[in-house]
Amino acid sequence: MSIAAYILKRLLQALPLLFIISVMSFTMLKLAPIDPLATLKANPAISQAMIKAEEERLGLNKPPVVQYGLWLSRTLTGNLGISTAGGPVSTLLLQRAFNTLLLSVLSILFTWLIAIPAGTYAAVYRGSYIDKFFGLLTAVGMSMPTFLLAMLLLMFALSSGLLPIGGLTSAYYFDLSGCAQILDIAWHLVIPVTVLTFVGLAGIQRQMRGNLLDVLRKEYVRTARAKGLPEHTVIYRHALRNAINPLITLLGFELGSILSGAALTETVLSYPGLGRLTLEAVLTKDLNLVMASLMLGALMLILGNLVADILLKFADPRISLE
Amino acid sequence: MKSAPSQLLSALKVLLLCLLQLLLLCACSTPYPKKPLSNKGTSGLDLVSKPSAQKLFLGEESNAQQLKPASAAEIASGKVSEFFENRGKIGNFGGSLTVATFGSGPKTFNPWAATEVESHGIGQLLFESLIDVDPWTGEHLCRLARSFEVSDDKRDYIFHLRRGLQWSDGFPLTADDVIFTFGTLIKEGFGNQSLRDTLSIDGQYPSIEKIDAYTVKFRTPKPFSPFLASLHGLGVAPKHALEKYTKRPHQEFFAVWDVNCNPADLVTSGPFRVGRYVPSQRVELIRNPLYGMCDASHRRLPYLDRFTEAIVPDQNSMLVKFYGNELDFLDIRSIRGPDARLMKQREGPGNFKMYNLGSDDGTMFLMFNLNQRKDPQTGKYYVDPVKQRWFNNLAFRQAVSHAINRTSILNNVLRGVGSTLYTAESPTAIYLNKKLKAYDQDLEFSKKLLTDAGFKFSHGWLLDPNGNKIEFTLNTNAGNSIRDGTCVIIQNDLKKLGIKVNYQPIDFNILVDKTEQSLDWEAIVMGLTGDKIEPYNGANIWKTEGRLHMFDQRLPDSSGKTLVNDERPFEKEIAHCFNAAANTFDQTERHKYFDRYQEIVYEQLPFIYLYSALDLTAMRNTHGNYNPTPLGIYYTPKGSLHNIEEIFDTRAKSTNRIREQK
Repeated sequence: MSIAAYILKRLLQALPLLFIISVMSFTMLKLAPIDPLATLKANPAISQAMIKAEEERLGLNKPPVVQYGLWLSRTLTGNLGISTAGGPVSTLLLQRAFNTLLLSVLSILFTWLIAIPAGTYAAVYRGSYIDKFFGLLTAVGMSMPTFLLAMLLLMFALSSGLLPIGGLTSAYYFDLSGCAQILDIAWHLVIPVTVLTFVGLAGIQRQMRGNLLDVLRKEYVRTARAKGLPEHTVIYRHALRNAINPLITLLGFELGSILSGAALTETVLSYPGLGRLTLEAVLTKDLNLVMASLMLGALMLILGNLVADILLKFADPRISLE
Repeated sequence: MKSAPSQLLSALKVLLLCLLQLLLLCACSTPYPKKPLSNKGTSGLDLVSKPSAQKLFLGEESNAQQLKPASAAEIASGKVSEFFENRGKIGNFGGSLTVATFGSGPKTFNPWAATEVESHGIGQLLFESLIDVDPWTGEHLCRLARSFEVSDDKRDYIFHLRRGLQWSDGFPLTADDVIFTFGTLIKEGFGNQSLRDTLSIDGQYPSIEKIDAYTVKFRTPKPFSPFLASLHGLGVAPKHALEKYTKRPHQEFFAVWDVNCNPADLVTSGPFRVGRYVPSQRVELIRNPLYGMCDASHRRLPYLDRFTEAIVPDQNSMLVKFYGNELDFLDIRSIRGPDARLMKQREGPGNFKMYNLGSDDGTMFLMFNLNQRKDPQTGKYYVDPVKQRWFNNLAFRQAVSHAINRTSILNNVLRGVGSTLYTAESPTAIYLNKKLKAYDQDLEFSKKLLTDAGFKFSHGWLLDPNGNKIEFTLNTNAGNSIRDGTCVIIQNDLKKLGIKVNYQPIDFNILVDKTEQSLDWEAIVMGLTGDKIEPYNGANIWKTEGRLHMFDQRLPDSSGKTLVNDERPFEKEIAHCFNAAANTFDQTERHKYFDRYQEIVYEQLPFIYLYSALDLTAMRNTHGNYNPTPLGIYYTPKGSLHNIEEIFDTRAKSTNRIREQK
C-alpha cells in the first residue's frame, strides 16, 4: 500500500471516531449540572427578559438533540459558533493557539534534545555518577506535580526578582524594538519551558535508558561486539536505531498534545494559552468553546499518531503499512 | 457521576489555589500578629475640598498646556469649552498605572452591550455619563451635564450639557448623542436589555426630547425618584460612530466594539481610549487627549498616559504580581482577610499603603425556604410540610438568628476584615437604618423563644410541637473558604440548640438553579451585592414578584408574568415601602420608607444577615491623588479609582524633567 493511500485510509477511519468523540463530549457537557448563565441570574440588576434574550442568543433554550444538530451542521461548515462570553470561538482559539504552540514546541524540543543524549549516556555508562544523577533527577520529575514545580519557580522569581512573575509579555512590551521584544518573550518563557521540560524529561529519559539497556542485552549486539566492531558503531549504528522505535510512538503522542496546552501550568503561571482557555471554558460550561477545544485535541491526537506511524515506517524498514 | 469531569477540575483548581496560598504564606516569613487588623479607616475618608464653581475656558489647547479663562465676549460667541475641574492636588503628566483583574478579563469595550461587570468597569473609564454620584457626599455630581433641573410635577428632567465637549476623534459631543443613547440604543433594546429595564418605570420607558443642541428633556410616565440614580455611570454613546450599527439587526450589536475590534475605531469621551487588547494578558488604555476635565491649573486631564489592566487567572497570582512590583494597585475584592494581615506587614518594604474603605455593598445572609406552595408540575410541595412549619415560624427564625455567633465568624473566618451585619443595607449605605441595634449570641434567649413557641428539648434534640426532630440541609457554594467557615460555625452554634444542620456545599451554578428554578432547598448561606446610594436597586429582591425574591420565590408562568396570591403581610408592607419611596422625592420621606423596610426585615428575618466584608485596597506610594471613598466605588477596573483622571505617577516626573532639559 502506498503511503498516500495509507494516510487516506487512516483519515477516513478517523471520521467515525471524531463523530463518536463529539457525541460523547456533548452528552457529558449537557449532563453536567452547570448553568452557563448562572452568574447573570444571580445578579439583581439583570432582568428576566435579558436572561431570555441571552438564552436565545446562545441557543440554550432548545432541546439537547437539536443543539447538537445545530452544533454539528455549523461545525461542518467551518463555523465554530460563539462563546458564552461573547465573540466567535475561532478567534479565541486562534489568539491562544500561537502562544500554546510556542510553549509546546520549545518544551518538546528541549525535552528531546536533553532526554535522548542523557538516556543514551545513562544506558551506556550504567551505574556511573551521571547515570545516578539523572536517575534522581527524573525520579523527582516524575513524582512532582507540574503546578508545584511552577509555584516553586514562581517563588524563586518573586524572591530573586530575576524572572517575571507569570504572563508572556511585559506591560511595556509594545514599546520595545523587535529584538528586545523577542528577548522579553524569551525571558517570560524561562519558567514555563523549564517546568514542562523538567516534567517531560523524566519519562523520556527513563524510556530511552530502559530501551537501550534492553537492546544492549540482545544477541545481535553481542554478535556485533564479537565480530569486533568498534563500540561506538555497535551502540550508535545498531543498538540506538532499534532502541528508538518505541520513542517515536511517544513523539506521536507529544505531537498530538501540542495544541492541548498544559492547563495547570498555564493557570499557575498566568500563561495565555489554550489549556487555560479550555479550563476556564469547562468551569463556566462554555459549550461551543469546550467542544471546539476537545475536538481540536482529538484531531491533533489522531494526526500525531498518524505521523508517528509513518515515521516508524521510515525508521524501521521491517514495519509494513498493511 | 454526571459532573465528574467538571467537579474534578474545580477540585483540582481549589487544591491548586490552596497550595499557592500556602506557598505565599511560607514566602513571607514573618509570623502572624496576634492583634486583628484595625477596622479604622486608614486614610482618605475626609473631604478633600468642595467642588469648585463652574468655570469656562478656551477650547483650543494642546495636551498639557494651560487653558485660558474665557472672556465674556468669547462666552457670548459660543466658541468656548466648558471644562469641569477636578478636586485633587496638582500632579504631573505622564506615566502609567497598572492594575489587575482575575478571571478571563473583559469581553467587550461596548458598555451598552456588556453583560458582565468587568466590561462595565472598562466602559466607565472610556465613557462619561451625564451625571454621576459624588464620591464624597453621595449627592448627584454633574459630569457631561453642566446642570439639571426637575420640574414641579416631578416628571420632567432637563439636562443642560457643557459646551465644546469633544469625542476622542474631535467630533463635538452634543444633545444628539444623548438622544441617540437613550432614544435609540437603549430604548430600542440594542445590546444589554437590562439597561432598558433599569430606566423603565412599571415597564414604560421615559420619553426623551431634544430642546436645543445642548439641552435634553426626559419625561417619566410617573414621578419616580430612583430615575436620576439610574443615570449614574451610564455612558453617553457617540452617535456619529455607532448610528450605522443601529440600522442592522439587534443581534449584531453585541459584536460592535468587542475586545477584538480595531481600537482606532473606538471613539470615547472618558479619560482614556483603548490602546490595545492582548488576549488573556492585558488591556492597555491610553490617554484621551480631548477629555473634558481639567486640573486646578487648568490643564487637560488625565495625568496618566497609560492605564494597564493585567488579566491573571486567580487572586493569588494577582497578589504575587503585586508583591513582585508588576502591579501598582490592588483594588477592592482582591485582598481577603488572611491576605490583609500579611500585606499590612509588607507595607513599608513593599512601598505601598493599604486603604480601608469600610463595608462593602455586599451582604451575606442565611435564609430558609419559606415556600409553602406545591410544584404545579409534580403536585408535590417544594419544601417538606413539616419543615415548612418551622421555617415559617417567626420564633424559629429569631431563635436561629440569636444563636449565631457573628463575632466568632468575623474573628475566625474573616480575620477581622469585615463587620457583623443585622440589617438589609450595608453599614456604609446612605439609607442605613441606624436605629436597628446589633445583638450578641444569646442561646438562653433562643431557647426561651423556642419553648414559648411550643418547641421542646429532649435528649440533646430540639423537637417541634408535633415531636419531629429539627434537622435541615444547609447549602452554600463550594470552593469559597470564607462561606465554608461561616457555615461550619452556624452548624456548631445551632447544634447547641439541638438542631442538626447537614452542611452541603454545592457548585455555584447548582445553587443558583435551586434558588431560581427547582426551588428545592431548605437553607442557604449566600450573598448579594447591594447599592450604597439607591436602595431601590434591590427592588428585584424585595418586591414579592421580584426575580430574586429568594426566600419565597414565585416563578413566572408561561407568559412570563409572575402572579402572587399568597403574599404575607410583611412582604406586602416591604413592597409598599419600595413603591412609596420610589414615588417621593422628599429625602425625609424616603428615609422613612427605607427605614421601615429595614425594620421589617430586622424583625421578620426572611434573611438572617451575618456579615459584610470590608473593602480594602493597596496602592503603591509612587502614585499621587489616590483618594478612595466608601461611596466612590464602581465596577472594577474603575473600582475605587473614582478620580482616575487626577491620579498621577510620580515616577514620570523625573523622565519629564529630562525630556524638558533636552
